[in-house]
Amino acid sequence: MAASAIRTEGLSKRYGGLDALKDLDLEVGEGEVVGYLGPNGAGKTTTLRLLLALIQPTAGRAEIFGLDCQRQSVEAHRLLAYVAGEASLWPALTGLETLHLLGRVQGRVDESYRDELIGRFELDPSKKVRAYSKGNRQKVILIAALMTRADLLILDEPTSGLDPLMEQQFRHCIHEARDRGQSVFLSSHIMSEVEALCDRVGILREGKLIEMGTLAEMRHLSSLSVEVTFDGVLPDLSGVPGVSAVHAEGHVVRCQVRGSAEPLLKAIATSGATRVLSREPSLEELFLAQYGRKSEEEMPAAETSGN
Amino acid sequence: METEAALLGVARIGRSPGSVVARLTARKAIRSGILWGYVFGVVVASSAISYVSIYKTQIARDHLEAAFGANHATSALFGPASQLQTVAGFTVFKASMTLMLLGAVWGLLISTRLLRGEEDAGRWEVLLGGQTTRSGATLQTVVGLAGGAATLWAITAIITVVAGLSSKVQISAGPALFLALALVATAVMWLAVGALTSQLAATRRQAAAYAATVLGVSYAVRMVADSGIGPNWLRWASPLGWVEELQPLTSPRPVALLPIVAFTAALSAVAVHLAGTRDLGTSTLPDRANATPHLQLLSGPVAMTMRLIRSTIVGWGVAISLTGLLVGLVAKAAGATISGSSVEQVFSRLGAPGTGTATYLGVSSLIVAVLIAFVAGGQVTAARAEEATGRLDHLLVRPVSRERWFAGRCLVAASGLVACGVLSGVSTWLGAASEHAGLGVDTMLGAGLNAVAPALCLLGIGLFTMGVWPRATSVSTYGVLGWSLLIEIVGGVGALNHWILDTSLFHQMSAAPAVPPNWATGGIMLLIGLGCMAAGAMAFKRRDLTGE
Repeated sequence: MAASAIRTEGLSKRYGGLDALKDLDLEVGEGEVVGYLGPNGAGKTTTLRLLLALIQPTAGRAEIFGLDCQRQSVEAHRLLAYVAGEASLWPALTGLETLHLLGRVQGRVDESYRDELIGRFELDPSKKVRAYSKGNRQKVILIAALMTRADLLILDEPTSGLDPLMEQQFRHCIHEARDRGQSVFLSSHIMSEVEALCDRVGILREGKLIEMGTLAEMRHLSSLSVEVTFDGVLPDLSGVPGVSAVHAEGHVVRCQVRGSAEPLLKAIATSGATRVLSREPSLEELFLAQYGRKSEEEMPAAETSGN
Repeated sequence: METEAALLGVARIGRSPGSVVARLTARKAIRSGILWGYVFGVVVASSAISYVSIYKTQIARDHLEAAFGANHATSALFGPASQLQTVAGFTVFKASMTLMLLGAVWGLLISTRLLRGEEDAGRWEVLLGGQTTRSGATLQTVVGLAGGAATLWAITAIITVVAGLSSKVQISAGPALFLALALVATAVMWLAVGALTSQLAATRRQAAAYAATVLGVSYAVRMVADSGIGPNWLRWASPLGWVEELQPLTSPRPVALLPIVAFTAALSAVAVHLAGTRDLGTSTLPDRANATPHLQLLSGPVAMTMRLIRSTIVGWGVAISLTGLLVGLVAKAAGATISGSSVEQVFSRLGAPGTGTATYLGVSSLIVAVLIAFVAGGQVTAARAEEATGRLDHLLVRPVSRERWFAGRCLVAASGLVACGVLSGVSTWLGAASEHAGLGVDTMLGAGLNAVAPALCLLGIGLFTMGVWPRATSVSTYGVLGWSLLIEIVGGVGALNHWILDTSLFHQMSAAPAVPPNWATGGIMLLIGLGCMAAGAMAFKRRDLTGE
């Protein structure tokens, strides 16, 4: 059986008294594109740096294509390419010199693809790195990663600083990579990007993976957004089983429905509903719902402690 | 009328937000000024106090004056020596040139760091979003740096005044304050030079190199004047010459403060003006943003390290070669003036017994060893900077092991140090041979390599610290270097016991060619260095990469 592109077991990292990552069990299959979401400080970059052996785990282990990330890091790194969120490069080198260096160090480069990428990302490779804008520096490390055609791409907020056109170009490149059978592990804040690119998504909160699955699976478990328009008096829907986040405005009531929609349909059937719209939640809404749920959980505790 | 911000409840924090840059800079500069003020003060006080304990008789003092008083060779290196038969005259001669140069280096480094360095790091962008302009922020930084210089002067002055209270030293408060002023004058001038070059250059490194070039030219001009080759008025063409013209303690000439003040004020004003005329992140001098790619030395991490440090090593190599050549040129004449028990005693304390050319070169080898040690310190901090800035990540996420990268840095840095030692030996031999000093190239090559041992040991200590405690790398490396230098300066004339002397890396080095190189001791220092590097590599392999 082929080894997973990434596999972690109980991977943990502790800084002093703070758990940056707790018992992460994660698997990214070969040829799969997996998104990794979480707010600042959730542990996304810590995970990536553990996979790359830039930091050491406090507990647990991680593998890249069956190779131990810490003990066999050099072998594992032959199979992957990484894009950091912060493109700190050697200021005195030109873009082309940087690409040449990183290609030689990696040991494999598709030079014609590199030249094609330089054109597609509209990078002037003769410029010195210190003269590049943040976006152009980001393009250099993106091209440096993509030109290797590595089996696994590990991307940490790869489009930070890129304009929308270049972001689009990046998406094309990732689609191409997937079509070629490359695996991608993408950490990002841009929900639309993750939604457009990823087969599966993991959501991280305070160092713990709280959700992992395809978008369809997540939507199935999540609330449905419903908007009902009435021609008369608005009914009180707050007590209807499965209904939450009820918000009335004029003749329109918006709410979230979890589980079966039957109780809601029964409740509005006799109240003069003229229009009913329902929509599956976007990834952004799913993500915010995860964190909203946490806020709701924390609210009573905060109120109690406040008393 | 209440502003919208006030209506929203936005509170004003602090009384003068417009001076926040000045206060921020002053805090850093004052901290550094306190540390270096102690160093300055200790050097001055130890020079004065040790003089009275070593040169107890008038005969000994007269011998000293006879040996160095009219010696152009030593004047060329250390500045004019006058009234060496007095505590005051000797103190000025002993402390001046060392502290003038140290002060200038301190000034240019801190100035370029807090101006161009902060801009390079992107922190100025944040500050300039506040209630200030580019020229306003530069002016504030200059004011903050002035706070650091004032602290440097104050600490130096306090220690000098206290030392002067000794019944044997007897330097009254007024002259002591003026001496302290003279000693920090170069620091003040090079703060301004650094402020200006920070506007001219595109990077902090470039700005520091420009300022160092000004220092080198200034030193060379005054050297020509002091060596008797050029006319005396030439001294007025060099900022270092102006400081010499102050002649503190011996025959003070406050009028020489005028060019110093005018130079500092003019450069600071131009720096502030230029800051307002250029865009953030750009330079006044044209910077070549585009370049034809040169792909040599980009084949891997070791080659890359060579490429990264190439210009630094070449710069140091040129400086060390010129120093060696100069020392070689004056060695015969200077060696001939080493006579009298008191001078021999001083040289003997520095590990160079006897008289003659070899003795002079033996003492001078300390200068070369210190320069090579600075090269080592620079290599350690450069290695750490690769990690702290995140550039190293790009190599280590590729098939490059940490041990390979670390060993590459060690190898390239050590090779650079050895090259500096060879250059020093050959250039000194060339200078001495042109004066028919009668020393063989093998002898001088041995002396040059002998001066590399402390630097290799320091390189090991620095890289070990980087392995186990990365954030303390710079402090520990320059701490060991500064301590060793201080012990040599103080120990050369003072009565330090051998336990303290032995803590100096330079004290372990034999003063070749005055005495044959002690290869056994050199070998032990090399082994300590290598052992530290190996331990540092192991620790580096096992720890997390750490940012700034």
